[in-house]
Amino acid sequence: MSLFSIPKLLAGNAAAVAAFHFSLLTSPLAIVIVLSLVVGLLMVVLFGYTSDQKAIGIAKDQLKAHLLAVRLYRDQIPVVMGSYGKILRGTGRYLKLAFKPLLYVIIPITLLIVQIDRYLGAVPIPLNAPFLLTVHTPTSDAFNDVTLDLPPEISMTAPPVHVPAENEIVWRLAGSKEGKYEVKVAAGGQSAAKVVCVGGHLPRISTVRLRGHFWERMLSSAEPALPDNSPIESISINYPDRNIEIAGYAMNWIWLFFILSMVAGFIFKEALGIKI
Amino acid sequence: MKRSCGAGVLARLRGSAARSGRHCLSLRLERGLFAGGGARATRCLLIAFLFLPALAHAYAGPGAGFAVLSSFWAIFVAFLYSFYALMTWPFRQLFRFLRRRNAYGKATFERAVILGFDGMDPDLADRFMKEGRLPNLAKLRDRGTFSKLRTTFPAISPVAWSTFMTGVNPGKHNIYDFLACDRNSYLPYLSSAEIKGPKRHIRIGKYSIPFGKTQIKGMRKGTPFWHWLGNAGIFSSVIRVPVTFPPEKFQGVLLSGMCVPDLKGSQGTFCLCTTRASNDKFREGGVRVPIERTNGVGCSYVPGPDNPLVEKAGELRADFEIRPEPGSKSARIVFGSEKFTLKVGEYSEWIPAAFKAGIGFTAHGICRFYLKELSPEIEVYVTPVNIDPGHPDLPISHPVTYSIYLAKLFGPYATLGLAEDTWALNEHVLDDDAFLAQAYGNHEDRERMLFDALDKTRQGLCTCVFDTTDRVQHMFWRYLEEDHPAARDVPHSQHPQVIQDLYERMDRLIGRVMEKIDDDTLLLVISDHGFKSFARCMNLNAWLHQNGYLALKDGKTESGDWFEDVDWARTRAYTMGLNGLYLNLKGREKQGVVDPSEADALKSELQKKLNGLVDPALGKIGITGVFIADNVYRGPYTENSPDLIVGYGAGYRASWDSVMGKVTGQVFEDNIKAWSGDHCIDPRLVPGVLFSSHKFIEAKPAIVDVAPTILKLFGLALPAHFDGKAWTLAAKAR
Repeated sequence: MSLFSIPKLLAGNAAAVAAFHFSLLTSPLAIVIVLSLVVGLLMVVLFGYTSDQKAIGIAKDQLKAHLLAVRLYRDQIPVVMGSYGKILRGTGRYLKLAFKPLLYVIIPITLLIVQIDRYLGAVPIPLNAPFLLTVHTPTSDAFNDVTLDLPPEISMTAPPVHVPAENEIVWRLAGSKEGKYEVKVAAGGQSAAKVVCVGGHLPRISTVRLRGHFWERMLSSAEPALPDNSPIESISINYPDRNIEIAGYAMNWIWLFFILSMVAGFIFKEALGIKI
Repeated sequence: MKRSCGAGVLARLRGSAARSGRHCLSLRLERGLFAGGGARATRCLLIAFLFLPALAHAYAGPGAGFAVLSSFWAIFVAFLYSFYALMTWPFRQLFRFLRRRNAYGKATFERAVILGFDGMDPDLADRFMKEGRLPNLAKLRDRGTFSKLRTTFPAISPVAWSTFMTGVNPGKHNIYDFLACDRNSYLPYLSSAEIKGPKRHIRIGKYSIPFGKTQIKGMRKGTPFWHWLGNAGIFSSVIRVPVTFPPEKFQGVLLSGMCVPDLKGSQGTFCLCTTRASNDKFREGGVRVPIERTNGVGCSYVPGPDNPLVEKAGELRADFEIRPEPGSKSARIVFGSEKFTLKVGEYSEWIPAAFKAGIGFTAHGICRFYLKELSPEIEVYVTPVNIDPGHPDLPISHPVTYSIYLAKLFGPYATLGLAEDTWALNEHVLDDDAFLAQAYGNHEDRERMLFDALDKTRQGLCTCVFDTTDRVQHMFWRYLEEDHPAARDVPHSQHPQVIQDLYERMDRLIGRVMEKIDDDTLLLVISDHGFKSFARCMNLNAWLHQNGYLALKDGKTESGDWFEDVDWARTRAYTMGLNGLYLNLKGREKQGVVDPSEADALKSELQKKLNGLVDPALGKIGITGVFIADNVYRGPYTENSPDLIVGYGAGYRASWDSVMGKVTGQVFEDNIKAWSGDHCIDPRLVPGVLFSSHKFIEAKPAIVDVAPTILKLFGLALPAHFDGKAWTLAAKAR
């Protein structure tokens, strides 16, 4: 190795290190951590602004007092029973106070979770791995009319299976090249497309395309609705779940988000002096 | 946690949709909250979300997690307690049954309630009852007992309440005054408790990091009678009885009273923050702190305890900022993380005060701000920084959680032993109204604690001492007399009826307590001593000096505080504190000169000369009794007592200077301070008061009898060392 080649080598290594760091930063784990911290902070601030902090403080103090009373007067059964009653009433009072601000917190977070789940909820179909495409129809009468039009990168690996009891037809397919493809399902003279994601880092994934079902579609589908007169009710793909591994445990991102944002929230609430 | 189905969020929504039912309850609860017209949009949103599967996300989202963790933990813990209680209930019931059978089997009453009204005077009570001002006390008098209650020698609260709780004379409980005398240094120390920092320190550079706990040693000896009750399985709630700091373990709950220090370790140091330039120092009890004014904004601080980490670093401080609000007589104060607005003449609530010495070393206190003046100068009075009852740095209750329980239930409250700032009124830092507002604020807190204790203590002992009676009489006696030196500038016709109002307020309290009790409860209303005027001060050290018992250093005609200029080699007697007179005894005092063989003769000589001493200006007797300690006290701690107890006549008391070991030129002088009533006089002149709901046959009850009486009424044997005797109940159907 000549001296002249060292800078080139270093440059090459630096690029590799940078790429490695970038991939770490854009990993699902990093995204969930950052998201949890931000959401934890925003949630606490929002809660602080929309709640009656003084009343919440008093309600929580009263709850703690009644708990202490159970301990202090433990041999006096009437006092203990009375304290239990007050704990229940105090909890009701606290929930009443917490409900309105929680509502303000829950609405944006729900919408956020739905959107994030499109990216982190499932992994794309691996290259050459078989997956199932399921078409749901209102009845099983038209099963023989339903056909599949596949792009060249997607191939059928087995004949379709009819499940009359569920009004479903299931195809086993496989993708040979990374990308987003449209699989067309024809039935009753109409055609409907469903996007299939094969490979990729963090593509936006829609597991199902639906007809009608506005709220379900809002929450779980990232594709336009099937036409109202379509003979097909839904087209779904069984994308594998995405699990995030942390400390040897694999878990769904929502659990991790739930735990981390809670921890972040509790840290921020202490730092900001907000009573929750 | 691995997801088992692959339908994404939808599956989770479906799976949790069933839980949305609990939101119906929440909705009902929320209706009242959203009653306003402006909340319509919120209500619509709420209803819309109620019927969405998305609502289930609340249970996956962190917002709901907060709700769960922040509220249901209480229920969870409560049910853990329940489980524990249920599992152990049979055993505890059996144990309690066996113990209670002994205790309550012979008890005359299920419950005893003792209300201590510190300083309530029997003569005033009698007079006000005759005037029809005290209907509830009159009821007690008519149905039960009303009598004078003999007090202790001397008639000082810590002495008398110690006797009350232990049933013994001061020779057995070791409390003779607020202050005791260190015979080595001739300096005073607090008689009730000794507080020392941790023994071990690690030095790192200029830092000295303490290891271990603060050591608090109770100096009061003897066993409070609620310990005897506890040993027999009888529960007690004891609230603010003096000289219960540090709190001791027993079966019951106790909140310490008089003698609990403030965060600085003193018995109460107020703070006057002011832009007014002054080099004057307060005689006692307070400090003056400058407010630096820049662009209309004042910056100052509240002084806290000494820095425990750095030697000679001085006191810790908690800064605050005061910003007058233009166009109004109010100001915005920012103190730590707290922000509040005060009008002139208004108190803040209790505000948390944190004094940080370093990471992990923060002293927690609470204080109240009172805005005195905004223009032309800014003046803010700050109460002594009390130990925070919700976060006590020193134990002020038994168990420790009891003070926390009360703080959580009612909010922060005064914990300082002498919580009513009499010094601030004496020094004209507070006016009458501000002092009364403070005193009655504390009193209301105390009332809430009492009624909670009454609710919680259905059997056993419930006792609570109210200091308001003492403090208000001390400070407002001047208005009760026509010609008190401290109120000569106010025509008698304009004197406010402060003490009359006080007694009426206490009477109403008794009325409410009587509504809470039945015939199976004994109610005692007692005071530790009565009250008399304090119009004339006597400097006993000056008298000793003029009569050749106390000598000053050559060339001196007066002495500064704490015997600064006293020539001990030629001094045979001295006085310190309120009623104690000490011989400078060889072998006991460091520079003692009186041979022990001459002590008795000297005591008799002093007794003879002082007894009946006349105030030449008024021709009245200034001292009505001098008592030789050996004749008054008996017990293992008599060696710590003064040699003589001086009983001043009505209208007289030891002068402020004399109490602090100062020798002045004048023996008698007018008392022109607001502190105008007192009881530190001849104990025979200031008996306490006894009211009871049931009649006792006792000619001359004394405060020392209360402990044996209560033990007897609960059917317990009396300890042999008791000095008091149990009263006999006239009759009670059982």
